[in-house]
Amino acid sequence: MGWLWLRWSWRDLRSRWVQVTAIAFIIALGSGTYSGLTSTSEWRRRSYDASYARLRMYDLRVSLAAGSFVDTAALSAVGTELESAGTLRSSAVQLVGPIQVDASQRGRTILVPGRVVGVEPVRNGPTVSTLSITAGRGLRPTDSARPVAVLDEHFGKRRNVGPGDRIRVSGKVGLTVVGRGVSPEHFILLGDAGTFTTEANFALTFVPIGTAGELLGQPGRANALAVRTRPGVSVTQARRALSDAFAAGFPDVGVTITARAADPGYRLLYDDIEGDQRLYNIFAVLILLGAAFAAFNLTTRIVEAQRREIGIGMALGVPSRRLAVRPVLVGMQIAALGAGLGVVVGLGVGSLMIQVLRSYFPLPVWRQDFQLGIFLRGAALGIALPFVATLVPVWRAVRVAPIDAIRTGVVTKRGRGLGWLAKIRLPGRSVTALPVRNVFRQLRRTVMTALGVAASIAVLLGVVGMLDSFRATIDHASKELGRSAPNRLAVTLATFDLETSSAVTTTRASPLIRRSQTELQLPGSVRRAGVKPIDLLVTISDLQSPIWHPTIHERVRGDGVVLTEKAADDLGVRPGDRVLLRLPYREGLTSYRYVEQAVPVIGLSAMPLRSLAWMDRRVGDSLTNLAGITNFVVVEPKAGVRTEEVQRALFGVSGVSSVQLVTDFADSLQKELDRAVGILLIVEGAVLLLALLIAFNAASISADDRARENATMFAFGYPLRSVVAMEIGESLLVGIIGTAVGLLGGWLLLDWLVTELLPTTLPDLQIVTALSGQTLLIAVLLGVLAVALAPLLTVRKLRRMDVPSTLRVVE
Amino acid sequence: MSLIELRGASRTYQIGERRVTALEAVDLTVDVGEFVVVLGPSGCGKTTLLNLVGALDVASEGEVTVAGHHIVGASRGELSRFRRETVSFVFQTFNLFQALTAIENVQFGVDVTGRHREEPDRAMTVLERVGLQDRAHHFPHQLSGGEQQRVAIARALATGNPVLLADEPTGELDFRTGVQILELLHEQAHVGVTVIIVTHNREIARVADRVVELGSGRVTADGPPVGGQVPINELRW
Repeated sequence: MGWLWLRWSWRDLRSRWVQVTAIAFIIALGSGTYSGLTSTSEWRRRSYDASYARLRMYDLRVSLAAGSFVDTAALSAVGTELESAGTLRSSAVQLVGPIQVDASQRGRTILVPGRVVGVEPVRNGPTVSTLSITAGRGLRPTDSARPVAVLDEHFGKRRNVGPGDRIRVSGKVGLTVVGRGVSPEHFILLGDAGTFTTEANFALTFVPIGTAGELLGQPGRANALAVRTRPGVSVTQARRALSDAFAAGFPDVGVTITARAADPGYRLLYDDIEGDQRLYNIFAVLILLGAAFAAFNLTTRIVEAQRREIGIGMALGVPSRRLAVRPVLVGMQIAALGAGLGVVVGLGVGSLMIQVLRSYFPLPVWRQDFQLGIFLRGAALGIALPFVATLVPVWRAVRVAPIDAIRTGVVTKRGRGLGWLAKIRLPGRSVTALPVRNVFRQLRRTVMTALGVAASIAVLLGVVGMLDSFRATIDHASKELGRSAPNRLAVTLATFDLETSSAVTTTRASPLIRRSQTELQLPGSVRRAGVKPIDLLVTISDLQSPIWHPTIHERVRGDGVVLTEKAADDLGVRPGDRVLLRLPYREGLTSYRYVEQAVPVIGLSAMPLRSLAWMDRRVGDSLTNLAGITNFVVVEPKAGVRTEEVQRALFGVSGVSSVQLVTDFADSLQKELDRAVGILLIVEGAVLLLALLIAFNAASISADDRARENATMFAFGYPLRSVVAMEIGESLLVGIIGTAVGLLGGWLLLDWLVTELLPTTLPDLQIVTALSGQTLLIAVLLGVLAVALAPLLTVRKLRRMDVPSTLRVVE
Repeated sequence: MSLIELRGASRTYQIGERRVTALEAVDLTVDVGEFVVVLGPSGCGKTTLLNLVGALDVASEGEVTVAGHHIVGASRGELSRFRRETVSFVFQTFNLFQALTAIENVQFGVDVTGRHREEPDRAMTVLERVGLQDRAHHFPHQLSGGEQQRVAIARALATGNPVLLADEPTGELDFRTGVQILELLHEQAHVGVTVIIVTHNREIARVADRVVELGSGRVTADGPPVGGQVPINELRW
């Protein structure tokens, strides 16, 4: 008996192989995307751990206050002493500073700001924060003080600059690129104060520390010490020892000791895992839901097609349990097929994810271990979906009285809920009413199909809407930055300099410049009692500057700091409240220490980057003891002068480290976004495929359900194109309902993602919820047009229909 | 001249490796306004014959001409147009559109031939002819079997086509209802419609003008009913 049921169910499967394959793919897509997306956090974490371990990422990093430098040997001695004392395992001095890089190659002009990182050129790289070489070679002991460099992989790869190429840095010093590589401190590129920077427009350049001294005009000096603690020594102990050593060795120099866990790049990478995972989980569940609705739809149809045979069985006295075996076996076979394919899809999704991440973060180790538990869970869901979807209609079928089950057309001819529709007169011919009536006649199927489409559209809107929101945010920032003098350039000096210095006066006196103003840009932080501090980049300038000044809202009288709305919200302060602002304070000629002072908030800026803040020059000078000193000059070119001409002219000025168009940041971030959408595109691809499969399946089921009606129409000479047009009409209605629900759900999802989820994953950005017309158009095109046109896929089936046989089918 | 003419019409099917002959070298002519019953046991080729006349199927060999249209060799579009303008069907299982009301089902017959512009009230007129004007706005599932078949006949009549083909039109109905349906179909022949009914019920054949008997795909007899034509009210089954 058992084999009979199995063979019978197998034949059921084969008779509907197209739909069964489609539903198996839908389940595979749902469970596979679920497995693929939900398994990322584990392998990402393992990959990061392994990469940081391999490259000996620092445990603690001591940075001298901005503008402070000390003797390299003295700094190195602090590390060596603590190594001898058993506190540290190893230490490495660094000299870090801003530069301007001319990486122009073969006719392509590449003039970007950057950062030089001077490291000790020891064998196998620095003992702390070693470089992972991706092309060419690393720095060797013989390179000491030579003009050679290892270019950061991010920039080098994007700009196609590598071993053998020559670059020029501030002061027109030429460097030979000997290799490309990545440092664990820069797996993710961050600008000053933890702000994002773009890899195509920021040249991180690793050079021997002696070379860095020459480039930055600080020969024999250093400004950072990276250390690894000895096993058994806690980070707290090591931090205390370092703090004491610096207080004793360099009493006039302010230092910031950063633990690895607080490293902005490190933190961002690991924090991203959780945030991304939450996002992926939402998408995974929604895709799974869409698949569930679709699975339910088809299996219900298969069971309903067997309803009469079930009734015959019941009439012959076969127990309900046994009658249920055949449809349940069909469900299980679909489940097994779907779950099996789901593992393949899951691995595929994971593989695509790793490719995207690898291109974004050039980690030396990427481990995509097979997550058995997660894949088992995904497979279990893949099996459960069609199985449960089968059980419900089977349960309903075996509960029908045998006489009803045998009676012709008891289910298919049911027309509950149609009464009110008969009262509605639709214009046109009789058949124009058919699509509308059919949509309501089989309401459950309509709802399931529409919900499947809605889930897909919602995910699509959520994914693409996030990108729209990013773009709108950047656009908002661009508009604010370009509100006046949009072609102005920011000239960053290599260090703090007198306003009367040669670098500043030469810059301001350039014949290409219409007007200019000196400013100070200082890294710092702001906090309020009991609230986590926020890293800041404070611009101290003329807040009434005719060149450009921030638009200030809710301005109050008095002196103080202008924060962004996002920073104020996160701190829980409003204009008039006082915050604790931590900024470098000049102690000596080249020594600074951080000082925290209570400062009132005098207004808010709508700029979306939380880390930006502004102070009026008069107030800032007194808070920092930097009157008459600058590190930043804003210049506006004369009419008709191209910004590139100014960049070239100022590039050679000694003491100038970079010259960048102020709106470059927003422009390059916009371009960068297109690259960062890789992962979202994977989700988008899965969603598109799911929606198309749902649409095809719905059309295919519909064609089966309507087979006899279609045959009747053909018998009356109704043309094929008109029958297809009618089916398109019905699908169009389902598509409109599904899309409308999807758009609503998608907007709610997007709003939740932007207002609830993104603030935890991108705390520095104030993203505004936005949806572009293009996104809406894509959603509508997919949800309405693709679903509406899906019946075209059944034309071949309709064309080949055996009309006489179909007319005689007894349902 | 005959309205329907079959000359050596055969229909064979290939089922796997087996070749099955459903109809073999059938010669048949039917005149305008004739009421013909095609009789025979199950599997003798009755429905195949009806399908060839109705251009739902095409003969493998021979000629089939209906109202001057040559069915064999016609394109799909031509066959579709032929069905639209020349024949109409009544099926054993009614095959009504479940989402349309009775009047809308009949209207379909009007619409498909394009007569809705000339006679906007034709659907209701025809529905009145089959006595269902009171059930016009009911859906098929709200009608009895007999009522559904009357709607199906009304739909076929609404086309105004000269040939009405009925495949076991009383097969699903009780005797009393079946007789009503036969009366309806019989009336059509009196107004110039050529009616061909396919059935295995010999009693029904007694009311025909002409009975064509089939056996194993061949015409075994063709002529008036054995014992002469009787009025419908004398039928018993």
